[in-house]
Amino acid sequence: MNNILAKRSLFTSAKRMSSASKYVINPFPEQHEGGMKLWRNLTYFMAIPATIIMSINVYLHESSEHHDRPEFKPYEHLRIRNKRFPWGDGTRSLFHNPHTNPLPGGYEDE
Amino acid sequence: MMVVKKHPFHMVDMSPWPLSTSIGALVMTTGLVKWFNQFNINLLIIGLLITVISSFQWWRDISRESTYQGLHTKKVLSGMKLGMVLFIISEVFFFLSFFWAFFHSSLSPSVELGMQWPPMGIQPFNPMQIPLLNTIILLSSGVSVTYTHHSILEKTMTHSKKSLMLTVILGLYFSCLQALEYWEAPFSMADSVYGSTFFMATGFHGIHVIVGTTFLFISLIRLMKNHFSSYHHFGFEAAAWYWHFVDVVWLFLYINVYWWGA
Repeated sequence: MNNILAKRSLFTSAKRMSSASKYVINPFPEQHEGGMKLWRNLTYFMAIPATIIMSINVYLHESSEHHDRPEFKPYEHLRIRNKRFPWGDGTRSLFHNPHTNPLPGGYEDE
Repeated sequence: MMVVKKHPFHMVDMSPWPLSTSIGALVMTTGLVKWFNQFNINLLIIGLLITVISSFQWWRDISRESTYQGLHTKKVLSGMKLGMVLFIISEVFFFLSFFWAFFHSSLSPSVELGMQWPPMGIQPFNPMQIPLLNTIILLSSGVSVTYTHHSILEKTMTHSKKSLMLTVILGLYFSCLQALEYWEAPFSMADSVYGSTFFMATGFHGIHVIVGTTFLFISLIRLMKNHFSSYHHFGFEAAAWYWHFVDVVWLFLYINVYWWGA
């Protein structure tokens, strides 16, 4: 400990005496307080398990519950087509899903 | 005779990349407008190519100047840190505008929407399913990237590589899940102002996730090629800052758009 303190003050004064380096140097090599272990543990014991558990939960939910799609009602504020989309025939959105996204006239697969 | 510079600044050698990247950005944005209005995509593709190829070469040169030529002094580094901070702040304002639009329409839903939010006929996502999983994924990736940073500082290479790889994987997992949500969504961008605000906000966020994942992935490659030291690794730090920013934007999105807005 004393040796490190002595080295540190020697280094600091040496640094001050010589022209200060313009490059990034590491004045206190062993300073950093082992935060790595904390974040490693948080990652492996909290973050990853939470992700896995929630993933399983979502997977089970997605595969079980399949509600029927809502009945088509021709609301004017939905399925707005003031200008055609710049792809295909211009009537379908970018992630258009024929089963869940009705066109202005109704579902495609009805 | 060797050139000696008696100042800590980096006088960058002549480079074509700033000009070509700017030209690329102009051609790309003009191309986007041409695609939307004249249904011709060619200019957009050309613009994208020019921008991507120029950016790649510009950033490659920066890696060369720093790692291999040692031209990044403390002064240079501090300038780049300021630059990254200011850039992220500008991005914050960018997202602020989409949140403004969202609150403008959702706080006082108009009569055409049925004076309710979500509007009549809109079936929003269940915030407790995939959106919650996405939140956990991004928060976890924030933890893992912090693990990476500390392991770089403590010079434990194996830990650094593993945790950064994990962070990238989590980023990809998020993107896949969002793509699935987009595909399964019962509403599109053209479904009232709900769809517009939802997809503009989450869409731009998704683009930022992809950019952030790419930045982290490049950092991983540089880490594996030993470009970083335990006290000089700004490329990685910048990627981590950007990633935390992406995470925070998602938290705002989740709470306001997905949860309150449902």
